[in-house]
Amino acid sequence: MAWERLRSLQGRLIALLLTVVTGLWLAAAALTWVDARRELGELLDSHLAQAAALLVAQQVREIDEDALADAPNLFRYATHVAFQVWNGDQLMLHSANAPHTPLSQRERGFETRTIDGVQWRIFAAHGGAQNLQVYVGERIEARDDILATISRNLLVPLTLVLPLLALGTWWAVRAATHPLRRLSALLVARSPSALGPLPVENAPSEMEPLLAALNGLFERVANLLEAERRFTADAAHELRTPIAAIRIQAQVALGSAQKEERTGALRATIAGCDRASHLVDQLLQLARLENASVPPGTVDLATLARDCIAALSPAALARTQAVELVAPPQCVVAADGALLGILIRNLGDNAIRYGGAGARICFTVADGVQPELRVEDSGPGLLPAERARLGERFFRVLGSEETGSGLGWSIVRRIARVHELTIEVGESARLGGLAVCVRWPARKQA
Amino acid sequence: MRVLLAEDDPLLGDGLRSALRQQGFVVDWVRDGAAAEHEIATQAYEAVVLDLGLPMRDGMDVLRTVRAQENPIPVLVLTARDAVPDRILGLETGADDYVIKPVDMYELGARLRALVRRTHGKTSDTLQLRQLVLTPSTREVRLENQAVVLSTREFDLLHTLMLNAGRVLSREQLEQSLYSWGQEVESNTIEFHIHKLRRKLRPEMIVTVRGVGYTMPRDDGVP
Repeated sequence: MAWERLRSLQGRLIALLLTVVTGLWLAAAALTWVDARRELGELLDSHLAQAAALLVAQQVREIDEDALADAPNLFRYATHVAFQVWNGDQLMLHSANAPHTPLSQRERGFETRTIDGVQWRIFAAHGGAQNLQVYVGERIEARDDILATISRNLLVPLTLVLPLLALGTWWAVRAATHPLRRLSALLVARSPSALGPLPVENAPSEMEPLLAALNGLFERVANLLEAERRFTADAAHELRTPIAAIRIQAQVALGSAQKEERTGALRATIAGCDRASHLVDQLLQLARLENASVPPGTVDLATLARDCIAALSPAALARTQAVELVAPPQCVVAADGALLGILIRNLGDNAIRYGGAGARICFTVADGVQPELRVEDSGPGLLPAERARLGERFFRVLGSEETGSGLGWSIVRRIARVHELTIEVGESARLGGLAVCVRWPARKQA
Repeated sequence: MRVLLAEDDPLLGDGLRSALRQQGFVVDWVRDGAAAEHEIATQAYEAVVLDLGLPMRDGMDVLRTVRAQENPIPVLVLTARDAVPDRILGLETGADDYVIKPVDMYELGARLRALVRRTHGKTSDTLQLRQLVLTPSTREVRLENQAVVLSTREFDLLHTLMLNAGRVLSREQLEQSLYSWGQEVESNTIEFHIHKLRRKLRPEMIVTVRGVGYTMPRDDGVP
């Protein structure tokens, strides 16, 4: 449809409305014309018949044998009508515009015929005993003129009204679409950083879904931006703090006059470097995992867990923590050994760091339809709100003495995601601290 | 000059404390926001070095509380948050200076001294009282253009007295500005240092107000 190509709603509405109104008006005009033509035909035919009857009645009484009379034109309309009165073959009376030959061959009744290029509607009547023949004719053109006038009267107002209607429609549509324009003005005037909701109250009901959708979008974008902003701020903090520490400690060492202080500052510098490189390692791991896909393969979870725990044990023993592993001799799962090793080490590292001195840390490997790895500790655990934030990059539990970067959990979650593993974090029923359960999807064949 | 350091990172905090001590500051170090708030409210510090990412209470909250209590103490915000809106927010909330990590330790010391100087209404680094000139950044003291050799404590004591020239400071106030927590202060330590200062300078420069404390009269002679 042509109107569908119109980009403006206002244009569409005006075009549609005008098309519909014009169409209806034209249809009404056409119906009126057809009806008027029929009615007019019948009316004028009845006049012809009546005129003929009058002529017959008059002539029967007043036959004047010798005179051929020309009736005068009494009215301007008279040129459109003609009549003849014949007595046998003799033309007794006729109108000025009537020919001298009979208007019709018929003896009675209606006929439409062309005489000298002019169309006539003719009524013939026969005057009984005196052999009187009367013809009354009327030019068809006259009837058409009347019909044309009627049609004109129907169509002229339309052409006058259409522009007014267009103007009125334009105004009405403009008034009705005012909220839309106000919305677009509001959106245009918004600064890119303004992501608050648009006012929904007083909005037309048709616009509410649009506004709700927009507000939803704004909210999502705002959340995304906020997360991004927080990430940048946290990353800045995590990256700059060790560097700031290294710089200050190095300066302290340089400026120190006492050997003891200098040695301490240099040790601290090295510790800062270790921390910064650990952070860089983790960031690189995360970056690599960003696009990682798991190479198809299987690994023995029990053996892998044993190796990882062996590597972690010295750190745990240094904190007088007890580490144990409960595992079947073998538990083959679908995973990449290197990635799964990183996952286990990160979970173990977290348990050791946050379990506290003297804590018990228990690893459990369970085989079955859904193999799983559980890490539990007897540490302080986490509040539900803190659990929810685990895995947010750089999230650290406040008040923690540990210098973790909050990236370990992000790495664990990322590895779990690429392996399609589910991770549950909860409270350990057995040890009272944190319990983390890594579960594999159900094996395809039981 | 006694300052409070609020920094949760152990390595950085330790480094900052050593760095400031090397420059003659007396440093108390707290690791969380709640402790920082408590110390600022209860102790007399010349300035605060405040990290924003503190546990318990965010540094910005600490700053807000301090300013809400109409405490005019100079606060230097030391943070990794370098976004311009963060800096603006920090300064508008009441920070006197906003320094992005990492920072040079001498710059940090200079900024702290500048903050303290301004709160005492001084415009230049050097303090002068008649023929006595004290330069905090170089820790130099000159009397009639002759260098005077002072111990750390003596210098700090003189610095405090000169910063507050014309005001009488009690022995407790002087002790607080000279020692961080946990340091044993013997009852007559201040008297001892005052005595030595008088000998190295001129006895009349430091006036004892009996039962109240000590003061260094200003140029116009009004104590």
